[in-house]
Amino acid sequence: MEGSISNSGSNEDFAVGCMLSIKTTLGDEFDGQVITFDRPSNILVLQEGSKPGPRRNIRFLKTNYIKEFSFLGQSEDPLDIKKCYIDLQSLQDREELALRQAEADAERIGVGVTTEAQGIFDALSKTLPVRWDKTSIVVMNEVRVSSPYLPENVIGGTPAANDRVKKVLELERRRLQTRP
Amino acid sequence: MNTQQTAQLKSSANGFARRRSERESGMRLENKHQSGKLNQNRSMNAIGTSKAPVYESPSRDRLVYLSTCLIGHPVEVRLKNGSIYSGTCHTTNVEQEFAIILKMARMTKDASYRGSKQEYVMKAPSKTLIIPGKEVAEVIAKDVPVTVAGQSNELQNERHEDILIDSSISHSRHVELDRELSPWVPDEDDPQCPGLENIFDGPWNRGWDQFETNKMLFGVKSTFDEELYTTRLEKGPRMRELEREATRIAREIEGEDTEDLHLAEERGINLGEDFDGDEEVRFSSVIRGRGLDDSGYDEDEDILLDKRNTETFGDVPASSGAKTDHLHRGTSNDSAGALLTSSVDEPQCSQSSNGSEFFQSNTYDHCRQQADDLPCKSSTSDCNGRSLYGNPEILRVAQGHDSINASIETKTVAVDGKLSKSNESQSAENSQTAGFDRGGLLADAPSVTSSVKEMPPTEPEVVYVKADGESSGVSACRQPGTFASGSDHAGATSASSHPAVSPSSSLIGSSSSENSTLNPHAKEFKFNPNAKSFTPSHSSPVRPPSPVSDGSYYFTPNVTTLPQMHGMPVGIGMGPSYSGHQHVLFNPQVAPLRSPQPYFHPSGPQYGQQMNLGHPRQVLYMPGYQPVSSSQHL
Repeated sequence: MEGSISNSGSNEDFAVGCMLSIKTTLGDEFDGQVITFDRPSNILVLQEGSKPGPRRNIRFLKTNYIKEFSFLGQSEDPLDIKKCYIDLQSLQDREELALRQAEADAERIGVGVTTEAQGIFDALSKTLPVRWDKTSIVVMNEVRVSSPYLPENVIGGTPAANDRVKKVLELERRRLQTRP
Repeated sequence: MNTQQTAQLKSSANGFARRRSERESGMRLENKHQSGKLNQNRSMNAIGTSKAPVYESPSRDRLVYLSTCLIGHPVEVRLKNGSIYSGTCHTTNVEQEFAIILKMARMTKDASYRGSKQEYVMKAPSKTLIIPGKEVAEVIAKDVPVTVAGQSNELQNERHEDILIDSSISHSRHVELDRELSPWVPDEDDPQCPGLENIFDGPWNRGWDQFETNKMLFGVKSTFDEELYTTRLEKGPRMRELEREATRIAREIEGEDTEDLHLAEERGINLGEDFDGDEEVRFSSVIRGRGLDDSGYDEDEDILLDKRNTETFGDVPASSGAKTDHLHRGTSNDSAGALLTSSVDEPQCSQSSNGSEFFQSNTYDHCRQQADDLPCKSSTSDCNGRSLYGNPEILRVAQGHDSINASIETKTVAVDGKLSKSNESQSAENSQTAGFDRGGLLADAPSVTSSVKEMPPTEPEVVYVKADGESSGVSACRQPGTFASGSDHAGATSASSHPAVSPSSSLIGSSSSENSTLNPHAKEFKFNPNAKSFTPSHSSPVRPPSPVSDGSYYFTPNVTTLPQMHGMPVGIGMGPSYSGHQHVLFNPQVAPLRSPQPYFHPSGPQYGQQMNLGHPRQVLYMPGYQPVSSSQHL
């Protein structure tokens, strides 16, 4: 979907530092400050949020997808060139760390289960050790909760454990329902 | 990055030196640093054909730089069809219209899906997801570290996260939050202190009398008399003067510059907006990674060590200037209960001005700490007249200066309220004041300051003055600088306070109160080299801790590595050793040598002493050194 904006807009529209309010064709609306605009690839890089710290929210947006935008003002360059260094090694470390984290997270996600089921899983995991077994939730390695994850579906384990899981499940379900 | 390629590349108009290399995966890294330095441990090989560089512009540079910053960062990619994928950015290719490769990517929103949320089925995350540039509409990343500062913090934080801090556990990455949490911000009343102080103003300002209220509401008659708990405020003709003087002093003290973060904050010295330190640095009492700490701590523990010495054994004539420094400090920190006899000779007391400055600053700050502890700190109007020991400072008199006419005033640190009596009973030699309250102090203030002023700002020397009275050993020192007229002697007062003083001050406080019951008439201990050695049987491993030895007070000032440095046949470490008690003993004598003194834990394994009778000198100077013949157990 092409945006209605003409790409032959003058350079000044996307000068570094100017504040824009943008609506994208995907339905996003946001305000941001231009960090850079690359003509050959039509990519506009914006910084969102006003906090001046070293960490920013960044958006890379292709100008094709800008539905409309308005100019809010001009400000100074948000990027301090002198401070821009990259440490490759630290980047790689960061990536590894993130991957490790993501893999751990991936364990928690059931494949082929509904979001509701996932929500129940997450809620149970707050207080009980849980893991997925196909589409069943295994709690404390004893108790299984299978679809549709109602208190009746709680099977196995010692009576005490079973009751406990049932109770937690009921409470969590109730909580999930009250929340919009 | 191959630095050799630098020469080949064009530099842009604004003078950036840029390097570019391309990988098959399309990763491009760019360096914007003016000097062209790029940290890397792995060299990137340019694989495949390197394309002719696209027209290089600063904007392109920025783009590439920013997209490089994304590597390893969680991003959200919006496709042109509306789907959204989240994952960790592995690499991007700006050349190909921002193609991006995500690792562990999940589709968080499926554009093609139409239906209620309930039925949406979870899918396993893809290990690697390659998204062609044409599909990409937008890439969003939050909290991207764009500058160096952001990066280093991030790694630190991540390392900490391995330790599973509370916030990461409770952060509920996995569970939906019930509500959006936002950080608390204080009201506009007061940025620092939310109005607490307004409520409880001084009693003379308060419009509310609790006793009256109580009486009215509940019919309770109060028998509270403020003066039961404090000393009467003597309102005399000199009141005004004293008040004025006190406020002046207080203002000076408070206005001083300090390096200590906490003090600075108390005094309201603004650290600056972009102060590099999170809450922990600003507010915690743990000070990390400041090189000064070690030396500071040593000094302070030295104080304690020596103080213990002198209290237990009476005064030990200081044999060297360096030791004297510590000794003085120790005693000065202690209250009048410190048992320094006055037999210390003058020459021994002379110190280098450096030492004294340091001493001053330490005690000053320490005293300041304690002043804070005491009920009345600098609200001088309260302090006036009360015999408070709110000004626990020592004044040291420079002796030998002809300009000083002899008024040797004795003021001592009165840390402990208990010692007030002994303080008061002291009779000043010339014009010593008994009362160590601010008022009393100030009564002599004119004379003090005048005499103080007369002293040249350099080289204050210390003298110990014999004071008659019950507590015979009172250190009489005047610090010209620290007594509030700090500005007068800029040289003498080094206002840089040691952060390490604060932990020691509490120790000192507690210890001094413990030791106030020591016998002031105890004989001075003299080391007897001919004393027989004590050889306990091996079956008694633990000695009862002597009153002096307390593991936490020991330190090894100059020991970087323990024993081995001297090439001694026996490691000094935990080997055959003396109890802490005796260790103390050797300390003063060893002073000139500064030999490494191992740290002994009193409850640690204590081996039998194998001291040879015939080698007292060894014992003396190398505590822990064993003649080769002795058995070595470590």
